[in-house]
Amino acid sequence: MSENQTSLKIENIKKKYVIKHVTKKPDDKKERAKLALYNLTHPKQANQKEDFWALNGVNFEVKQGEKVGIIGKNGAGKSTLLKVISRITEPTDGKIEFYGKISSMLEVGTGFNRELTGRENIYLNGAILGMTRAEIDAKFDDILEFSEVGKFIDTPVKRYSSGMFVRLAFAVASHLEPDILLVDEVLAVGDTRFQKKCIQKMRSIADSGKTILFVSHQMNTIRQLCDRVIVLKEGKVIYDGEVEGGIRLYNSEAYMEKRNHYEYKDLARLPGYNLDKAEILSLDILHNESCIYEADEPIDFKLKLKTKVPDIGDLSFRMLIWQADETPIETAFTKTFANINDVGEYEVEATIRNHNLAPGLYKLTLILSGGNSSSNSENLDYIYPAFVFEVLNADGTSRTWSRSWGWVHFDDVDLKLIEE
Amino acid sequence: MRKTVIEPNGRNLQYWKDIWNYRELAYNLAKRDITVRYKQTRIGLGWAIIAPIINMIVSTFIFGTLAGLSSDGSAPYFLMVYAGSIPWNIFQKNVAQTSSTFITNADLMKKVYYPRILSPVGACMASAFDALVSMVVLLVMMLVVGYYPTPRMLLFPFLLFLNAALGLFLGLFLSSFNVKWRDMAQIVPFALSVMQYICPVSYSISSIPDKYRLIYSLNPATGMISAFKWCILGDMKFDPLSFIVAVAWLIFFAVFGIILFRKTERNFVDIV
Repeated sequence: MSENQTSLKIENIKKKYVIKHVTKKPDDKKERAKLALYNLTHPKQANQKEDFWALNGVNFEVKQGEKVGIIGKNGAGKSTLLKVISRITEPTDGKIEFYGKISSMLEVGTGFNRELTGRENIYLNGAILGMTRAEIDAKFDDILEFSEVGKFIDTPVKRYSSGMFVRLAFAVASHLEPDILLVDEVLAVGDTRFQKKCIQKMRSIADSGKTILFVSHQMNTIRQLCDRVIVLKEGKVIYDGEVEGGIRLYNSEAYMEKRNHYEYKDLARLPGYNLDKAEILSLDILHNESCIYEADEPIDFKLKLKTKVPDIGDLSFRMLIWQADETPIETAFTKTFANINDVGEYEVEATIRNHNLAPGLYKLTLILSGGNSSSNSENLDYIYPAFVFEVLNADGTSRTWSRSWGWVHFDDVDLKLIEE
Repeated sequence: MRKTVIEPNGRNLQYWKDIWNYRELAYNLAKRDITVRYKQTRIGLGWAIIAPIINMIVSTFIFGTLAGLSSDGSAPYFLMVYAGSIPWNIFQKNVAQTSSTFITNADLMKKVYYPRILSPVGACMASAFDALVSMVVLLVMMLVVGYYPTPRMLLFPFLLFLNAALGLFLGLFLSSFNVKWRDMAQIVPFALSVMQYICPVSYSISSIPDKYRLIYSLNPATGMISAFKWCILGDMKFDPLSFIVAVAWLIFFAVFGIILFRKTERNFVDIV
């Protein structure tokens, strides 16, 4: 098998769902009767239906041995795509070709029966996932060892702890030997140690030359496992290329909406930020419902942050404002705003004045740093993008700011007419 | 490496090949059903024996003793009832399990691909196992009362298979309606319990007057059950009319059952 052979080819795949709209029934009896009669006589209008395209023309090709991460917001079509590729449901249009055997790990433990013993479940689940008895026999010892279930193998799984259950389930699923493996968020199982083991196992599957399609919201796992990323949005591929670029786009996609409240718990941080000392938890925009600002209106917001180790020292921020298409515009290095020695949650209020931004859409990056002296100061958290905001025209006029005028305006200009 | 193509309204050839590739799954599902059914029960497999026997006693009392109906040939009434209950049970179970297969297996089917027909086939294999246990009991009873089987009893696997297949195909036919209208879940058990009385399960087909015979034989199960009893009960007369009707039904449900099932399984996941 050469490396460049096509493993999976997706051509213009579409998947339509029909959504039924139910008309709200009026409270008045007479009105309701009228509506019922109308519906009877106009059966077509009664059931308002709308087509929803979960996948709307997806195209890509995967070569043998590639590990492709598929990311996108909830509802972007990732899971539908995996369902179509794994033949759980048929596409409405388009064509998929693949070579060899596809197996999917869409949710570990599917098809397990609680009454059966661990051993019986290994055989049953293996068969459901497409393994033959001979294959399972050959791998049984490996599966048992990986699952760490040990002597409980002949106990009904209903008596297992939830940890044992997922370990066994993952053990079976990960010993499949397909040519193409579809994975959907399964690595979030078990304790941290077992999760590490799972990722190692996935790595070794990946290194053995299998093709992997991997759907996840955990960008760090994507970074560890994938060498290519596809970003889906509204059922279409909007990015297909190297990993970091895709993750950047995903982050800005996911957070590129003007909102008043942001939670950063699920936001993927850059590599190197493991948040073991401090973390920015959330942000609230104050005094502005729409996040649209007059030219010189100050931007007020409130942050919640959490320190996880004592003596974190002097805290300060670096704030970076980006134009919506990723051009950095300006940076502020704030003064130390607190000296914190205790572990706990803190709220910080901030106001940005005189940003001098030209009209347009912007995002802000927040970098929290701490340390006991300027020499050992380190960056603790990096939120990109922290929030999105829009700036209006300087004097409220309708004059559009030409892009060729740049991104900031300067107003401090003294002019004096000198009489001759 | 094998190349697979996925298209809307995909080709059937692929499907039948997949059934072969996944053949062990049907066996595993059947084994699961059997194991789970008797787990944590005190007498385990005994239930497969006790339940039909109690049923037999009650039916014999009502139809044989109270109603005074005659048996087929010289067979003791209870033997005739027991012989009738074996094909009826397999037919009835298969219809019930298969018609609701998309609902009962939805969780699995939403997560993993396999040829969906293997779910009902596996369940039917489990009910065939129960039927075989009942056959052993029947044979023992026949030997005990001295009503010995004739060589035509050797036909029983074939006739049992026909009964099972009729149940499976009728179930496949109904399953697609079950996805859209859950009313089926109410109708099927009810229809089956009515149907049991218009089948020669607990009485002989000869108890039905000639003028009603044709209508009576339109019930798909009538001919199959009667034919099965014929192979067990050595001196019973074969009823060709009902058997031909039943075979016609079998072919009808096989063709349309599979067509409808295939059509439904393509994207029932989006509806259920």
